[in-house]
Amino acid sequence: MTSCERDDICIDEITPNLIIRFYDFEDQTKTKSISQLSVKINGIENDSLFFSGTDSIFVPLKITGDNTQFVFTVNSNDVALLNRDTLSVNYSAEAVFVGRSCGYKSIFNNTTYDLTDDGNMWIQKIETITEQIENETTAHVKIFH
Amino acid sequence: MLKYFINTAFLLSCFVSISQENNLQPNDTIIKNKYGLRVGIDLFNPVNTFFNEDRKGLELVGDYRVSKKFYVAAELGYMDNTSDEDYINFTTNGSYIKAGFDYNAYSNWLDREDAIYIGMRYGFSTFSQTLNSFTINNNPFLDDLANTESGQKFDNLNAHWVEFVLGIKAELFNNLFLGFSFSGKKMITTKEPDNFKNLFVPGFNRVFLNNSGFGFNYTLSYLIPLYKKEK
Repeated sequence: MTSCERDDICIDEITPNLIIRFYDFEDQTKTKSISQLSVKINGIENDSLFFSGTDSIFVPLKITGDNTQFVFTVNSNDVALLNRDTLSVNYSAEAVFVGRSCGYKSIFNNTTYDLTDDGNMWIQKIETITEQIENETTAHVKIFH
Repeated sequence: MLKYFINTAFLLSCFVSISQENNLQPNDTIIKNKYGLRVGIDLFNPVNTFFNEDRKGLELVGDYRVSKKFYVAAELGYMDNTSDEDYINFTTNGSYIKAGFDYNAYSNWLDREDAIYIGMRYGFSTFSQTLNSFTINNNPFLDDLANTESGQKFDNLNAHWVEFVLGIKAELFNNLFLGFSFSGKKMITTKEPDNFKNLFVPGFNRVFLNNSGFGFNYTLSYLIPLYKKEK
């Protein structure tokens, strides 16, 4: 009888990832794919995330603290061409109950973005689509390059 | 544990079937049924506490015979239950009352008072939920899942539900009954806590996703006979 009380598994949406859509800085209505992008999350021991040939990526946000710092490296496979930019995402995380099997998730309110200017930027501009990151149905921020 | 219930249920059904084989009914004796108040205690939770320390409860049961086939029935109980899920651990604490009727579908031989019955109850519970600890579920890539101690208490919660009961009762000795019943429950309305949910309700037990639940009772009861009436 105890065994049938743990039959459900977590299939609901948990803490949303940050969805970034890449656009062309020259023609800002057009999306523009990134090539050989590696994403390192500062303070996380795991390997970098890697994306290529896509105009849309999702990256996780930390639920402890109020900020996640990303190092985005384009052309990461080519030492001569690679370019590293640091983006800091700031927010206030709020715990929201999901259900028995998933527990709680975080949503992120009042999200802002800070780019560190290193004098050699591949990211030209950032545009917030929504300050409130609640789900993964649409992109949350645009990056122009 | 279920095995013992089934064994006992089987044993009880043997008693019942033996009594069915004899259809002799003496013409010169008037058979009378006992009417009265039957009070008892649920043995399921006290026994279950030995195997499962997370659930403590006590339930008093009672019924009053109103006609040959119908009984007005009620249960009154208290429960303290801790649920340990993958990402939450919480304790539910409260009391409940259920009231309704039982219909005995079994025709007894001579003056026996056994029962195979169906019934309905309206249930009401007032309780509190304490969120002992929880985990915020995030993308596993970050490896930052942490179990947070909480202790947040949600008071003044309540629930209303209906249940359908199926059970048997056998008279072991004079006026002493042993019963086993199963109930299927459906929640009508609940007062839910903010940013949490009533996943367990005293008297209702686990609240499944479709707002249904089930329960077992294993009762020992005593009939206080008040009067006798011709069968």
